[in-house]
Amino acid sequence: MRVRRLRKEVAALEVTAFINLIVVLVPFLLSTAVFTRLAVMDLTLPAQSNTKLEQLKGNDLKLEIVIRPEALEVGDRIGGLIQRIEKKDSHHDVKTLSALMQQIKQRFPDTKTATVLSEPDTSYEVLVQVMDAVRAGRSANGGTKLVRVELFPDVSVGDAPVLRGKANAS
Amino acid sequence: MMLTPLQKRAARKDRNKQQLDLNLVSLIDIFTILIFFLLSSASEVETLPSFKAVKLPESTADTHPKETIVVVISGAEIIVDGRKVADVADVLRADGDVIAPLKAELELLGKRQVIRQENLAQKAAVTIMGDKDIPYRLLRKVMVTSARANFTDVSFAVRQRFDV
Repeated sequence: MRVRRLRKEVAALEVTAFINLIVVLVPFLLSTAVFTRLAVMDLTLPAQSNTKLEQLKGNDLKLEIVIRPEALEVGDRIGGLIQRIEKKDSHHDVKTLSALMQQIKQRFPDTKTATVLSEPDTSYEVLVQVMDAVRAGRSANGGTKLVRVELFPDVSVGDAPVLRGKANAS
Repeated sequence: MMLTPLQKRAARKDRNKQQLDLNLVSLIDIFTILIFFLLSSASEVETLPSFKAVKLPESTADTHPKETIVVVISGAEIIVDGRKVADVADVLRADGDVIAPLKAELELLGKRQVIRQENLAQKAAVTIMGDKDIPYRLLRKVMVTSARANFTDVSFAVRQRFDV
């Protein structure tokens, strides 16, 4: 007697149409994909804070960061220079600035405003880097994980005061 | 079980067929994942135009761009909403703070009527896309000009950077 085998059909999927679709879609989407995400930085223009002049008290911090060609000068408009950060490897030392900003923020937790003053020849990139360090920083307070902390988010931009002489500057 | 001649023929053909089996499962997997990834990343609406000539500075800022008037400052020219208004070299050579053609263009755009109330706040907003190598002197002129043209809400476009 003949052995009766079970006639088992091999399951086959007809995927050609699907593959066609995908092969067309993938190059199209790849060509339109944007891999650099854009963001914006809001500026606080100094003109808006003119009406709050009466709030200027002795213990109020008016933080000013001056970008000089050879250093960054962090100061208070009333209290004067806090720290001068020299250039490191012909780049402005943004890391030290960020650390200093976090120290200042701990002393003045309520202050949200800061002013970045730059000289006419300061490049836009340096300005944005400094604004970045002033707006927010990363710190590992307590834990092992770096947390993004907001420092002085309301940054305004202005002109650096002209140095009266090289002796005055140093 | 009896088979009809037609079924027999089909079975015979099936047995004798040289099996050419292309295994496409993993390929389809990859493509499907790619499609979903690309579709989700493409669905984010790009509000800012992109220019090859302008290299934006990098920043950790994460505010999304708003739909505003865009002033592009490349190394050679100033462009407002796709229209060139001034040459950078001319602007740098000029003495005053106000760039006259840019001011005229911005004032023209500022006269546009706002129809919907919720867009009123964006009437005074302008986004500056500056090349990272432009000097502050130029940036300042653009900012002063836009302030004079009643665009007081200035924001800088940057390339988002993710660092750990």
